[in-house]
Amino acid sequence: MKWTDNLENFPYPFKGSTYRYSNNSVPMKKPFCIEVTPDYLEEMKLKRDLLTHHPERCYQSLPHTLTGQWEIVELVMDHLAEQYPNQFSLEKKGRQWRFHNKILEEKHDFTFGDETTLPDEPLAFISKHVQEDLIFMMQRDGDLFLDAGQLCFPANWSLAFNLGMKFKSIHHPIPGFKEEGLDDRILQFLMRLEAGNPWERKNWSLMAGDRLDTSLETFDQWGKLRKQVTKKNAGELVHIRVEVQKLFRLPRTNGILFTIHTHLLSLEKLASNPEWLKQFYEILSELPPHITDYKGISLYKNEVLEYLCEQLESGKVL
Amino acid sequence: MRKAIFVSGKRKYLFCGAQEGMKLLFAVIERVKEEGHPYEIVVIDDIQESLQLSDFLKKQKMGTYLYVALSHTELKRVEKTAEEAGLTEEETQFIGYGEELKRIFCCRCHGINEAKNFEEEILCNQCGLELSVSDHYSVYHNAVLGYVAKL
Ligand code: HEM
Ligand SMILES: [Zn+2]
Repeated sequence: MKWTDNLENFPYPFKGSTYRYSNNSVPMKKPFCIEVTPDYLEEMKLKRDLLTHHPERCYQSLPHTLTGQWEIVELVMDHLAEQYPNQFSLEKKGRQWRFHNKILEEKHDFTFGDETTLPDEPLAFISKHVQEDLIFMMQRDGDLFLDAGQLCFPANWSLAFNLGMKFKSIHHPIPGFKEEGLDDRILQFLMRLEAGNPWERKNWSLMAGDRLDTSLETFDQWGKLRKQVTKKNAGELVHIRVEVQKLFRLPRTNGILFTIHTHLLSLEKLASNPEWLKQFYEILSELPPHITDYKGISLYKNEVLEYLCEQLESGKVL
Repeated sequence: MRKAIFVSGKRKYLFCGAQEGMKLLFAVIERVKEEGHPYEIVVIDDIQESLQLSDFLKKQKMGTYLYVALSHTELKRVEKTAEEAGLTEEETQFIGYGEELKRIFCCRCHGINEAKNFEEEILCNQCGLELSVSDHYSVYHNAVLGYVAKL
């Protein structure tokens, strides 16, 4: 199975010819917290398998998050039904709700606010209907805490370890973040996030392989592929991984819903767009070591550059 | 290791610690003497003395600033004593030295391991994975993250 998006739909992340960490969030044009792509069915199957077999890795929540979890259920269901009326519908009669997922052919009748009427905790339940990973940040004492989340497709981090953690501590592993005061600026930005004005950003990385579930818990398995990258196989083996991240203030609990939609594209496909090829080559060539190290590209960066260079040259000949 | 830092403008400076720890406070003590501030030095060399510390700390007037330098194991107890005596974070500095036990969260199995503060790599006692000890700390787990040491 190939998790490779079509070129047209791929959220290409680059601007300019260099990349540095910055607060690259922008206000959303279409304020929906989720997106359904052609990979929906495959990804839902994978996500549900992971949730069943590795619950502690994929789902964590603190007991005081239930009200916020319901708020997320409402936001996500509203957005699904509004944006994809042919695939989803939601009927509300007071607190009696009927959610219909027509893609999966599932109907759920439940009482809003009453956990006993759902098969799972609210956040776990709704996460089984969307491709996004869903993280719930709660705000208190002038800070944001990761108090609940469903995470099946992480870029090498652990939800179980990060449970209950403050925003700045979560970002502690990123080189230069604290030194440059970025962690504080981003936290202040998030604290000012307003309901009804969602923001989004794209984060990117490279990976050897095409797994969506690159959890820290399984890094000892999938990380090994980094050692197998050659100039010859880089086009197929190496993928650019882009996370579309969306930030929604939840008005009732004053928490934040952070959704992460992960897209993968092989270098081969990326390189088939000459502008992307040129731009990505420039950016990767110039990327400083602290960023390549943190993103885990250092082991095979040269092989990738050689591959991209070859593609650029063959383009010129044509 | 944390270093003692001189904080100016206090009514009185109180230095507590074992002989070994006093060396770590030396620079600050010199500065306080030089600038002519009131100060007191209390050498704690056995447990008995650290138990009596509680009453002594409670008798201190407002505006006293406390430095404590002890081995990590003893330091924890004195930190608690000081807190119970009503001293806040803004009025104290605790400097530890020597061996300290850290809790390491295994990235693969989520097991908690204990290791000495100077150990950089350990074997997870639950799943056997070789872990590289990081400084990524979780208050919730009271542990630092152990990453895969070798691919
Ligand atoms: C509020 C929700 C957010 C959560 C829960 C979150 C969580 C995380 C986590 C878990 C990591 C990986 C850290 C590790 O290595 O262990 C990370 C990385 C990062 N985060 Fe956030 N983050 C959030 C918002 C943001 C925002 C608004 C920005 C804006 C710039 C941001 C910028 C970054 C960057 C630049 C990285 C490094 C990514 C890379 O180099 O691939 N984060 N974040
Ligand atoms: Zn382990």
